[in-house]
Amino acid sequence: MRDQTVRRFLRFVALGSTITLIAACATPTQPAAEPTQPPAAAQPTQPPEAPTAAPAPGVVVVPPGGKIRIGGSFALTGPIPDPGKDIRQGAEIAIDDANAAGGVNGFLFELVAEDGACSGDQGTVVANKFAADPTIVAVTGGTCSGETFGLKPILQRARIPFVSPSATNPAITSEDCDVCNRVALSDALQGEVDAEFVYKQLGLRKVAVMHDSSDYGKGVAEIFRDAFIKLGGEVVAFEGAQVGDTDFRAILTRIATNAPELLFFGGYSTEAALITQQMKEVAGLQNTKFLGTDGAYTQQYLDTAGVAAEGAFMSYVAGDTQADKLAAFREKYIAKFGIEPEKLGPFHAQSYDSVLLIVDAIKRVARVDSAGNLIIDREALIKAIRETKDLAGITGTLTCSPIGECGAGGVQVFTVENGQFKQVYGFGLKQ
Amino acid sequence: MTTLIRASAAQQQGKPLRLAKRVLGAALIAAALVRAISVSAAESYPLSFWAAQTVNGLVLGGVYALVALGYTLVYGILLMINFAHGEVMMIGGVAGFFGLQLAAALGLLGGSSLAAALGLLLVLSFGMGVAALTGVTLERVAYRPLRNAPRLAPLISAIGASLFMQYSVLLIFGVRPMVYQRPPLIADGIRLGVVFIPLTGLIIFVTSLLLMGSLFVIVQRTKLGRAMRAVAADKEAAALMGVDVNQVIAFTFLLGSALAGAAGVMLGLHNGVIKFNSGFIPGLKAFTAAVLGGIGNIPGAMVGALVLGLAESLGPSALGIPAEYRDIIAFSVLVLVLVFRPSGLLGGGEVEKRA
Repeated sequence: MRDQTVRRFLRFVALGSTITLIAACATPTQPAAEPTQPPAAAQPTQPPEAPTAAPAPGVVVVPPGGKIRIGGSFALTGPIPDPGKDIRQGAEIAIDDANAAGGVNGFLFELVAEDGACSGDQGTVVANKFAADPTIVAVTGGTCSGETFGLKPILQRARIPFVSPSATNPAITSEDCDVCNRVALSDALQGEVDAEFVYKQLGLRKVAVMHDSSDYGKGVAEIFRDAFIKLGGEVVAFEGAQVGDTDFRAILTRIATNAPELLFFGGYSTEAALITQQMKEVAGLQNTKFLGTDGAYTQQYLDTAGVAAEGAFMSYVAGDTQADKLAAFREKYIAKFGIEPEKLGPFHAQSYDSVLLIVDAIKRVARVDSAGNLIIDREALIKAIRETKDLAGITGTLTCSPIGECGAGGVQVFTVENGQFKQVYGFGLKQ
Repeated sequence: MTTLIRASAAQQQGKPLRLAKRVLGAALIAAALVRAISVSAAESYPLSFWAAQTVNGLVLGGVYALVALGYTLVYGILLMINFAHGEVMMIGGVAGFFGLQLAAALGLLGGSSLAAALGLLLVLSFGMGVAALTGVTLERVAYRPLRNAPRLAPLISAIGASLFMQYSVLLIFGVRPMVYQRPPLIADGIRLGVVFIPLTGLIIFVTSLLLMGSLFVIVQRTKLGRAMRAVAADKEAAALMGVDVNQVIAFTFLLGSALAGAAGVMLGLHNGVIKFNSGFIPGLKAFTAAVLGGIGNIPGAMVGALVLGLAESLGPSALGIPAEYRDIIAFSVLVLVLVFRPSGLLGGGEVEKRA
């Protein structure tokens, strides 16, 4: 009886894994097949002679009346749903503005929003979906670094350019990836400024470093650790938790034995808030200061941590915000969604600019063929995004570097005072 | 029945394999012990550190124990793993969140200590009640129709029910974590020398002991408990003796789920947040604890849970490895225990058949 059940179960598992294998093989072959063609074929075969023939791979043909589809990978579920939603809504405003300005040669834009869930796994799923869709011109996103690492190789193979508004891990952009771009500033900068702030401004010499084992959290924690040691400080502990953990007392108890003056945490809102709270419950950490990073620079952090957050520090990769543009943006945002963007998350303006960057580049490469179709060659678009220069966005004047760093601005550090963030250090601080 | 099969399977394995397994297991344990002793001697954490970690471990173990009891009760009677049990805990936690909001709105929690304690008790009962209702409904809808189906069917049904509950909560209440505002009465803690014990942790541990004690009394001393044990021993014979098997099984789910609900509320108060997937990991750990202690055995679930909680909090420091590997330690303990005692720490031929 039991043997039979086991055998039946095994057969079931075998069948299931076969199906999964087949599915897994089927998906990547599609994008993989595409890129073999375009570099050679795209330029010569495309011109007006063959407007009705099937388009070359990598060339998006929008028929008259069709929409220009821009994919979006947003962390709508996962650890930071509110910032994810904020980023999606920022992108929608940008699409609205582009359409209100007439689109491109009369063709309007459309945002195809998917849930990247702030995870590499889900980023892969979203990227495969976009790679398999020949109507997707470019992608804005992902929200988190891990998610964007999921997008990166697949979109690179499928030759779809992307611009991330908020993924800050340094390795998101690299020499070998010509489709990878971002508006957010790299954590290479954030980690260093944070270390300087702690060492020079606060004058502390002994810190503990914690992270949530995510690509983002661990990445920024390592940069901070190295920068702090380089300045001459001492890092007494370097510990990892997991995204989704809720009880950090065991780790904190261990960290407390080294009596650090400050605890640095690379990670997202909920974990940062719970750590701030539980530090008050661990003997030896009650007076230790806390410094979190942009992933936790949210209203959600303040709401969750409550009074425990008072006096905590938080750093953020701020744009070179243009006050008048931001005000106009906020007005439209509030009118459309009925909520102030800051209540959800910090990256709405970067998200607007990500879409702006894509739209601007599309305008430069798109052309109309004799049948009235709009033709967008993604290879040309990849180059056009990189060539962006002096584009006036909400977060400053955007110019893309040769490896796709397009953001402007600097790192800011805030402290929590009466339940609100107040800037105390860094970029654009008015004294 | 399962014990018999396991025992015969062990015999079939033959002596050399069993010996090899045991030698390997003993070597691993010895290595771990040597490492632990050398590390604790070398890094010389103060005694207060070990005391604080023991407190953390006991609190964690208390939560695991409450959830593990549900697994063990259901397994004892139906020989089935209720994989949706972690989600019952989560729903208890969600109910507790709304209970707490309501109690706060009624001004119960800010006033005198007595009123606040009463309010908290009401919140706890509300969470337990909702969880109990969820558990009974779960049994009625997802398991009873499959009671005579092959054993794989209710297992798959349980996994389906688990996903259904998770995503229902996600759709209804959204993805944002629900934040428990800890009432002032239990916001602080007790200072024992240099060790700080959060009140919520103390409450978890004491309540767990109390609830487990009452469970033991119910199962061993009451008529319903006797009926439960009879159904566990032999469903058909119990039915022939006039025991209403359906009712007894429903009651079992009610008890187990109420305990899980209590765990959900207390976890919310202790850690501060509950969201749609909050039940998954604790559920998995509690299941591990139940197996570790000997599934189907009530004291076993408790012992297993405390061992697991302590292994997780003390293990990384004792072995001198990063804290992020605590799960590896927890599951290594499970594997080692199962190598030496396949039926768990307290599980045995006779005991296992008792609920």
